[in-house]
Amino acid sequence: MLKDWKPEDKSIDKATQEMIRKAEKEGIETAWDRLKAQLPQCGYGQLGVCCRICMQGPCRIDPFGNGPQKGVCGATAETIVARNLVRAIAAGAAGHSDHGRHVVLALKETLEHGTPYPIKDEKKLKDVAKKLGVPVEGRKAEEIAKDLVEIALGDFSKQDEEIIKFADAYANKKRKEVWKKTGVAPRNIDREIVESMHRTTMGVDHDPLSLVAHGIKTSIADGWGGSLIATEFQDILFGTPKIGKGEANLGVLKEDYVNIVIHGHEPVLSEKIIEAAQDPELIELAKKYGAKGINAVGMCCTGLELLMRHGTPIAGNYLQQELAIVTGAVEAMVVDVQCIMPSLVDVARCFHTKIIDTSSLATFPGAVHVKFDEMRADEIAREIVRIAVENFPNRNKDKVQIPKGKSEAIGGFSVEAILEALGGTLKPLEEAIVSGKIRGVVGIVGCNNAKIRHNHNHIVLTDELIKNDILIIGTGCWATACAEHGIFLPEYAEKAGEGLKSVCKALGIPPALNMGSCVDCSRMLVLADLMARDLGVDISDLPLAGSAPEAMTEKAVCIGTYFVASGILTHLGIVPPTVGSVEVTKLLTKDAMNIVGGAFYIEPDPIKAAKTLIDHIESKRKALGI
Amino acid sequence: MNTVLVNSERCIGCKHCEIACAIEHSLSKDLFSMLSEEVISKPRIHVEVGKDLLTFPNKCRHCNPAPCMEVCPTYAISRDEKTESVLVDPAKCIACSMCAIACPFGVITFEKTYTVRRSVNVKCDNCIDRQKEGKKPACVEACKTGTLTFGDVNDLIRERRKEVTKIVTKTLKDQMNPKYL
Repeated sequence: MLKDWKPEDKSIDKATQEMIRKAEKEGIETAWDRLKAQLPQCGYGQLGVCCRICMQGPCRIDPFGNGPQKGVCGATAETIVARNLVRAIAAGAAGHSDHGRHVVLALKETLEHGTPYPIKDEKKLKDVAKKLGVPVEGRKAEEIAKDLVEIALGDFSKQDEEIIKFADAYANKKRKEVWKKTGVAPRNIDREIVESMHRTTMGVDHDPLSLVAHGIKTSIADGWGGSLIATEFQDILFGTPKIGKGEANLGVLKEDYVNIVIHGHEPVLSEKIIEAAQDPELIELAKKYGAKGINAVGMCCTGLELLMRHGTPIAGNYLQQELAIVTGAVEAMVVDVQCIMPSLVDVARCFHTKIIDTSSLATFPGAVHVKFDEMRADEIAREIVRIAVENFPNRNKDKVQIPKGKSEAIGGFSVEAILEALGGTLKPLEEAIVSGKIRGVVGIVGCNNAKIRHNHNHIVLTDELIKNDILIIGTGCWATACAEHGIFLPEYAEKAGEGLKSVCKALGIPPALNMGSCVDCSRMLVLADLMARDLGVDISDLPLAGSAPEAMTEKAVCIGTYFVASGILTHLGIVPPTVGSVEVTKLLTKDAMNIVGGAFYIEPDPIKAAKTLIDHIESKRKALGI
Repeated sequence: MNTVLVNSERCIGCKHCEIACAIEHSLSKDLFSMLSEEVISKPRIHVEVGKDLLTFPNKCRHCNPAPCMEVCPTYAISRDEKTESVLVDPAKCIACSMCAIACPFGVITFEKTYTVRRSVNVKCDNCIDRQKEGKKPACVEACKTGTLTFGDVNDLIRERRKEVTKIVTKTLKDQMNPKYL
């Protein structure tokens, strides 16, 4: 990949290639340059056999069998790999679940002090309440919300041994029985993350099996806990996504406008900035500076949240963040948490762009710091937009080059929106599956990874699967990739197999459905669970599979694990740092199937992966007798 | 003559070169697949720990004349004319270890290879296949500290001389009493 690593080899997307070329011409360093400088990367690290947990280390296991086979403490490759994996799961669960906590606290603040986040979706509030057994009849929304806040915060703090309330309410009986039987039912979201750290600290748990089991438990605490809470409470506060149109790719930036890119993950911030960008006073100010108006667009998962709820254009996914600035047309990039490259500040230095960090958790040296506070949300959002507007005169017009590439995309497929589109029940979809028009469903999840040609695996895998009559649902950077490539348009069903095509045409839907940000993977779990309940089986019996074809973050490790824990075969397009242990690799790719009904499957080639996923789905169909 | 010159003071003992070497000489040339191959490829460069925990990446120096080549009874060891690399033909090697006795650096080891599947002399081949493609040897490419450098031996030594001169002159200057300057 190194020799003649051309822009076309770095991304399949034309707009992205154009900006990579511009960066190269102007001598601006991007992720691909930094990867090149890192290659070849450390073999011990890639195998996961390096332990840095205590200060007797770092220790490494010799993969050739000649050198050390144990760390100073005596830990083997199996223990080291398992501990590293559990820590990655815990970190991923922490990211999503802390995000979830912030949303719950925003609602709590609203109820107690009247912060500017009114409850937008009372219906969703009541639906969630009913699921959790909270009475709704004759009660005010605020009263119901108060109870929900208490239950959600309880899942972060309760000290008993019972399964967390959200997982208990959302997962079907059969699934919960599997979890209880194998001892992986999570008791408290924070506690499982803390216990992951405790178990993996020096001299505690050394058994790969019990370590991985706890990793699974932690991931369930995220998928059926923290992440689920994030999605449900965001829907309550900001509205449940409805099917609607939007635009995606770098071409959504506008030459004559003040461009604000909102990048990161938490809609608590982005929702307010979108509002502030529509403030007539600030638009007037932008016009005073010679702009036609304010163009606020999204990036990464916070962009997907906005696209799902408001149809706000999305400028790109993870590997496009530096390139948005390279257009020279961005006045401000507003960031909060997760997947934000520290290098943004360096790229911004080549232009007039201001990076504005807003989260009390994440400070970027060299950025403008405007820390967000829910209590003063409107005021702060306006201040941020004003900084962007006032930066417009500093733009150097000679350095501006916005690629034309953009595509229309239909999004907003929350579970509720899917149900509405199908006439209130999943029956039409289930019937299509039973009749064989749709062979099965694959959920594809986010990330780009500079090691993988940008968006390549996402698009090739999706194309290959829809060709074989498999309906795709998905989230995160995958969703942005599909939006950019026109896959989220009903007419893309032309590329699907005959069965899927006929279903898409009848319903007017694209062959792949955008279900939101990576935290919204919980929507896929809820959908799978509904289907399992309707058919009276466990999720692991359904013709489903999952995939993270361009996996990168610890969050992806956690998502993959809770998919597996939910009984779903999950494909990874990149080899995770676990291969250094034969036992752990076997546990994850084989034994897990017998324990929780799901397992990991590793295959860098998306065409081969598609074949295996199709075979798996066919075997599930056969077992169901359909 | 192109060679791998070692700046041993820069070696931090990361053994990155060892893994890169093993990958290059494996059947799949891929880290993850290599460990499940029938014959597991072994490194031909060895980072051993010496005095005061200092390390030295030790590999075949491709001597000329080469003592190993001189003593080989089966003529399994030959010299590639173009790159002057000392190469082993595993099919001819009888694993008598005469070469290892003659080698002044102790870098000849005997391992199975995927081609002959019996223990034979597996020493550094100067990554001759990579050199043909215009690439540096795998160990040099992997080295992140500048310990392993590859190029014309005199060019590399000239660079090293410049570095040494800088260090020596700085030391001399520091030692001089400024009063007499």
